[in-house]
This record gives sequence, structure tokens and C-alpha cells, in this order.
Amino acid sequence: MVDRTIPQQPGRSYDAVVVGAGNGGLGAAAQLAAKGVKVLLLEQHNVPGGFATSFVRGRFEFEGAMHLIADFGPPTNKGSVRKFFEDELDIHLDWFELPEAFRLIQTDPGDELDVTVRYGRDNFIHDIEKALPGSRQIVTDYVDLCLEVVEALTYLGESRGHPDRKVLTGKYANFLKTAPYTVDQVANAMKVPRRVRDIFHALWTYLGVPTDRCSFTVFGGMMGKLIPFSAYIPRNRSHEFTSSLEARIRELGGETQFNTRVDQILVENGQVVGVVTSHGERIATKHVVANASPTLVFNRLIQPQSAVPELARRETNARVDGVAGFTVYLGLDASPRELGLNEYSYLIYANMDTPRLYDAFKTLGVPKATASSCLNNAIPDCSPPGTSIVAITTLFRPDAWKDVRPEDYVAVKNRIASGLIADFEKATGAPLRQHIEQVEVATPQTYARYTGAHGGTIYGYEPEPWDSLIPRMMALTAPKHIQGLEFCGGYAFRCHGYSSSFMSGQTAGLLTLQTLLQERG
Amino acid sequence: MKVSVRGHLFDLLAFSGLPKRRQKQIAKAPARPVPVHPVNVLAQQVHPDKLHLVVTGVKDETKTSKTFRLAPEPGSVTKALPPFRAGQYLSLKVAVNGASITRPYSISSAPFEALGPDGFYEVTVKRVSDGFLTPYMWDNWQAGMRVESSAPAGFFYHEPLRDACQVVGLAGGSGITPFRAMAREVVHGGLDAELLVLYGSSDEGDILFHDELKMLEAQSAGKVRVVHVLSCAEVALAGCEQGFITADIVRRYADVGNSSFFVCGPQVMYEFVAGELARLNLPRRRVRWEAFGQVKDIARYPGFPAEAAGKTFALQVHINETHAEIPARATETVLVAMERANLAAPSQCRSGECGFCRSLLLSGEVFVVPESDGRRAADKEFGYFHPCSSYPLSDLEVKVPQSV
Repeated sequence: MVDRTIPQQPGRSYDAVVVGAGNGGLGAAAQLAAKGVKVLLLEQHNVPGGFATSFVRGRFEFEGAMHLIADFGPPTNKGSVRKFFEDELDIHLDWFELPEAFRLIQTDPGDELDVTVRYGRDNFIHDIEKALPGSRQIVTDYVDLCLEVVEALTYLGESRGHPDRKVLTGKYANFLKTAPYTVDQVANAMKVPRRVRDIFHALWTYLGVPTDRCSFTVFGGMMGKLIPFSAYIPRNRSHEFTSSLEARIRELGGETQFNTRVDQILVENGQVVGVVTSHGERIATKHVVANASPTLVFNRLIQPQSAVPELARRETNARVDGVAGFTVYLGLDASPRELGLNEYSYLIYANMDTPRLYDAFKTLGVPKATASSCLNNAIPDCSPPGTSIVAITTLFRPDAWKDVRPEDYVAVKNRIASGLIADFEKATGAPLRQHIEQVEVATPQTYARYTGAHGGTIYGYEPEPWDSLIPRMMALTAPKHIQGLEFCGGYAFRCHGYSSSFMSGQTAGLLTLQTLLQERG
Repeated sequence: MKVSVRGHLFDLLAFSGLPKRRQKQIAKAPARPVPVHPVNVLAQQVHPDKLHLVVTGVKDETKTSKTFRLAPEPGSVTKALPPFRAGQYLSLKVAVNGASITRPYSISSAPFEALGPDGFYEVTVKRVSDGFLTPYMWDNWQAGMRVESSAPAGFFYHEPLRDACQVVGLAGGSGITPFRAMAREVVHGGLDAELLVLYGSSDEGDILFHDELKMLEAQSAGKVRVVHVLSCAEVALAGCEQGFITADIVRRYADVGNSSFFVCGPQVMYEFVAGELARLNLPRRRVRWEAFGQVKDIARYPGFPAEAAGKTFALQVHINETHAEIPARATETVLVAMERANLAAPSQCRSGECGFCRSLLLSGEVFVVPESDGRRAADKEFGYFHPCSSYPLSDLEVKVPQSV
């Protein structure tokens, strides 16, 4: 690759520049600004959030991507996200707890299932026992294992990389012993019956990796946070969450700049020295926190490209990009009651053969796995009286879209959207089609367009056991590929998801602060 | 409860071996660079940030209207035109007497005509004699003129997921342009719908595409029908209606209960048609309005504070590192004030809906046209506004993102 011309004569200079205002970038910039660091947050789009956004069509404001924020908890039992957001950043929004964990509808003939499960340890166990009598003990054991994973991760975080081995092997032995394995391997070892797995693993699409490959720690950690802390969403969509952060960053003395893409991250002698923006401006800094994937940073942004170590290239090639998103947003002129929709979260799967469902993401058929929401059942007045907002989301491997031609694009997306609507109608009985007042379809191209995400992926690298949270965390202490470069967001060490990507920003901010303090002596 | 997957010791060893396992996995991966993913390439083809076009032809339509044909500028980064949906618009960027402004124009050519190496878009423009832009276009836009444009944008198109396959277009004046695109696409076979257009003009001489629409009707095997509604006192044209597009006229020609209505025309027509359509008791999902556009006479707009009219305020603008203090009339949008001062403020739809101009209101008060208030709820909460549909009511200080 040819190195591009670098504008001379640096003008502005910052202690740290954050590239991208997704959840991670916002978390990082907020953390740095809160610690008094002179920070600049650059975003290519004209709104903050990345996928965490909203858009208006007619009298509806649609949620772009959020299904829930985990690790939040009620004011009386704050999770780490609420603590960071409210206690450290002092941002206070109107939050709504989700009415249930999910309603799972399994549709394959002979394999049907229709069960609604609530969060809360006792509720969760009770609701599965009710659906599958006799499962109380195994569900309890499985829930407690997930809770142990979260406790162990909390302990690891608090020990700042120096855990007491005795505590780990004593208190968190089950965590240690399951960390090298997949969800299926652990469920097999525990002899979790198939029907219990169908329900317990239903949220697998939130991670986008089939249970035969997904790291148990990552899945168990997600469930271990959701079950006790439940799940929350802000009143005015993701855009309120991200806008409140952007506003707070400015209040704390940080700077934010939209419509400004970072085209280059300049490196000299293995050290970040600045960035070049799409407006041709060179900004000096020794610290960049990238809310873009390492794949994009190492292959497109680092200049000169010769500054990218071979190991960094091998690392990005070894990892598997996450799945891309596909969402049908519907503004309907009927209330949820009229539609017969009583839940917020709908998981509609043909079956729970997750590797097979995932394989279908590799083709441009209509995937038989959707995670959908009816927003009004969490926030009743999110749309005008007598209307409702439904979003149907599924996943694709990015390569499924590689041969789509521009002139065929609308037909392809409409064919899939049409199939998804029909499948949702069939599973729930809700007559969506005749009530559509507004419709928008987001494809991998849409996500790529607004965020630049490689392949339109909405999730970070797939967390298989070898590249799950734990080995990524252990790798944080390894020598860095480029000095002064930290990562945050779904591609960072905490893996993907709203809360993980947001909290990875906090970590990246603190790591940057630590280096800044060392440099200052 | 104790969990073992492969045995206690083996599991513990596997845990401590995780970093090695990761290193091995990385070591065996290739070190080759990763090319741009086809999904990102397609995203750029379908939604490029901007288009570099050139005027390839100009055609007189009526005494006051011209059609400009636009194609990719040879040698520019625009190699092909992004596909669009009949009814969408282009936001053309034009430098007039040193000030860079944008104007949205519906694409009047059909989607199929944009495809391929000889693809083109057409926009059909009516000259506004006291206007800012159109006299300039009449003087300067000839073959070879270079034009910067947005990619096709807007939500005014037939969406099969949502709309009935019988479409009733209610057009007024140059509001016929999106329906010309639809009619051509229906005849071509790219739009699977039946199109009835009730087309209001002041007199026969004002009708755009009269002969062409006749021809399209004839070619469409009954799928396209155009009924002219002329408001002049004497009507000579055969088969046309006299007066305005009333509920009665709509009932006479349209299958009201099974159609989707699309309305495009001047603002006075919107007010009239809204009243007539109300009499048909259509559900909201059956009526789609082309973006409202900039309000013609804001001082007379209901709700606009009368005492503000005639005032000029001081507008402080921050665009990245530049800062300017400029005058802003209460009766012109904040966007227009910035354009007059030649500040590089972004804009696209000029109707409040696309959010392209979203800016931060640091201090001061603005009047936002309720029909053109496309702000997100949280934007209202955190002080963001759309300069293209907001009028200053006091001195203002705003932070504007630099144009892409």
C-alpha cells in the first residue's frame, strides 16, 4: 500500500484523541474528560452513537439497535454501567426496566415451544420450571454458575491483573474450569437437558456465535449479569443515551467534532504521534483510543503502513469478524393490544440447532432466527396513542452480501424483509402487514454506510474460547503493537454488546490515563 | 455444585494455557493485508457521500421550465450513478455569486435510466423570476457545466412493503416531476404498480410533459392514467377537469379504499389537498406527502411570533476552528443566514427531515416549523436543532459540523 501524503505543520494538539463516537468511544472520551484529560472525540457521522442511534420517520422515532443495556440494575442494586453512568459521570436519564427477559417462540413442527421468561434469579428459575416441570435443580445450578462467572470477572477486574491464585481456585473454581470451553461443552458436562438449553441459550443471537463455538465465559457472563440486574432502556432511544454522553463530555471540558472522519493515525518509531482527518487537518496527539476495529485500524488508518507489526496483521486475520445486522423497522397504526403483542422481547427461532441457524446466515435466504422488540411494551408512550413500533432483527455473515449488485440491492433487502415480516406474523399472530405506516430496512450495507464497520458487522470478533474475554484480558499486559493506541468498543477485550462496548471505553480511558500519568512522571 | 468439563486438573491446565492457545492461533494466521469488504464497497456505490456530475443536455419543457440531464463527470470519482427509487430527490450544490447553496430537486427521469454506462438523472426546474438560484441556472447551466450533488435521497417513493399497488399521485405544478419518474418506471416494468395521477395546473400552457404523459398512458396497457385538473376559467383541453383537486374529483377517478396517495406540489396546494383528503377518511398510512420544503412566507405562518418579523439578529457560528458573527433575519432560516455568509454548513433536504444540518444551539431562541420538525426527541433535550427549518427569534450562538 502506498503511504498517503501527510499534511505538514500540526495545528491543534490533544492529550488524547478518540476515533469514533460509538458506545466505546463515548465511554472513553467521557472517562478521560472526567479525569481532566484534554481529549478530542472525532466522529464521521453527524450524530453520536454509531449503531446506538435513532431515526425519525413521520410520527415515529425508531431505535437503531438497542435491545437492552445489561449490567445496569435498579437504583437500589446498581450494576457497573449504572455506577459509571450515574455515580462517576453524573448523568441521569429516565430508564425503563424491560417487562420480561424474552418470549421464546420455537416454530419447527413437532418442536414447538412458546415460553416467556422474566429476569431476576428466582423468576428466571421459576418460569423455566413452570414451562419444563422438574428442571428447577439444573436451572438453579446453571444460573449459579453464570453468577459465579460474573463474580469472578468482577474479582479479576478489581485485582487489576494480579488476582490471588488461592481465591481463584477456591472461590471461583467453576469459573476457571469452564473458561477454556464452549457453551455446549459446559452444558454437556452439566448434563443440561435439551429443552432447558433451548430456553437457557435463547439469547445466543445477542452474541451471534453458535453455542458449539461461543465461549462459555462470555455467554455465562452475559446471563450472569442479565439475570440478577435485569435489563434497561432509556426513554428516548439510544440517541438519548449517546447524546447525554456527548453533552457531558463537553461539560467536562472535552471536545467533540462530528462530520469528521479520521483517515490516518500517524505513527513514528512505533508511537502514535497524531491523526489526519477527512478535512485534511493534522492533529497532534500521542494517544489514540480507537472505537474502530483493529482490522480497519491496522489495514486502513495506520500511516505509514510499514508501522504495522506483522503480529498485528496475523492477529486480525486469526480472528473472525462478527455477524452483520439486518433490521426491519415498522411504525404501525395499531396499538400493541390491537396487534396482540404483549411482550417487549421476541425471540423467534425455527429450532435451537444454533450451528445450523448460523449456517443459514451465510446465504441470502430469510433467516429462521430473529430477535425482535415491541418498544411500546417497555415504554408505552414511545409512539403516539393507537400506534406501535416493532423492530425485527436478524443476522448475516457479511460475505452473504458480497455479490449483491447496486441495482438489485432494494429487491434483495425487500425480499428478506418481507419474509421476516411474514414469519413474525405467523409466529405471533400479529397482523403487521396491514398496519404499516412507516417501514425502513437496515442491511449490512446500512450499518457499513453509517459507521464504516468492516462488512457491516454489528458485533466484534467472535468470542470463541481461544479469543474470549479471558485470553483477551490476559493479552492486555502483552507488549502493544503500537504505543499510544488503545481499542474500545465491540472489538475490544470485553467483547460486544451495549454495556460491554461502553464499559470497554471506560477501561481504554483509564489505560490511556495511566500511560499519560507515567509519561508526566 | 462443582463443574468439570474434562476433569479437574485438565480444566485448570486448560485455563492457564489460554494465552498460549491464543498465541498459537494467531501465529498460524497469515500476515496479509485485509482488502475493503464488498459490503463496504456496495455501501459506497449505493450511498456515496457526494456525486460529481456534469450537465449533458438541457431541454425546454414549457416557457418557464427546463429539464437538465446529468451524468457522471468524466474523470471524477463518480464512475456510475447510484440507483434510486422513483420519487427521490437530488440535493444539488451550486455556487451562486460566491455563495454555496443546496437545493433539493425530485429526479424526473426513471430509475432504469440511471443504470449502466450511459446512465443519467434528469431534474426539471421551474424558473422563479425573483428566485436566487433558478435565474442563475438559466444563465449558466449548459452542457458541460459541472454540478456537485448528493446521492439520491428522500422517502417519497412507492414502497411495496407498505403501500397499496394502486397509487394515486396528486400533483401540483412542477410537483409532477416525481410522478413522471414513477410513470416511466411503471411503463418500463420496474415499478409494479398502477398509477393514477391527478395533475393540477393553472392552465394548459403550464402543463409539464403533456405529450410525454399521453404517450406513457398509451404504452402502459392501462397501468398509467393522467387526468389534468386546470384551475383557469376556460378549459379547452379534452378530458380534463376544471378547478382544483377536490375530494369529489378524487372519488371520480380513484379506488379510494385500495390506494396509496402521494402528494407533491406547492405549499398552497398542500393546504387545500389536506382538507380534501380529510373528507375521504383515509388512514395516515395511505397518504404520503413530499417533504414540505422551506416555508414560503414565514411571517404569515400560524404560530410565528409577529413581533419578530422584520428583525435581524446577530448569529455567532462555530464550525470547527472557525468562528464568524453574521446577521440573521428572523424571516429566513438559520441555514440561509449561513449560506448568505458563505459558511460551509451542511444541508440536504431543506425541510427539516433528513437531519443533515443538525447543529448545536449554544444560546438563543429559534422558531421551528412544526410540520418540518424532524428532530429526534433527545436532540430537543440536549439542544440540537435543524438550521434548515429553524428561524432566529433572538441573537444566537451555534456550533455547526463542517460540511463533509
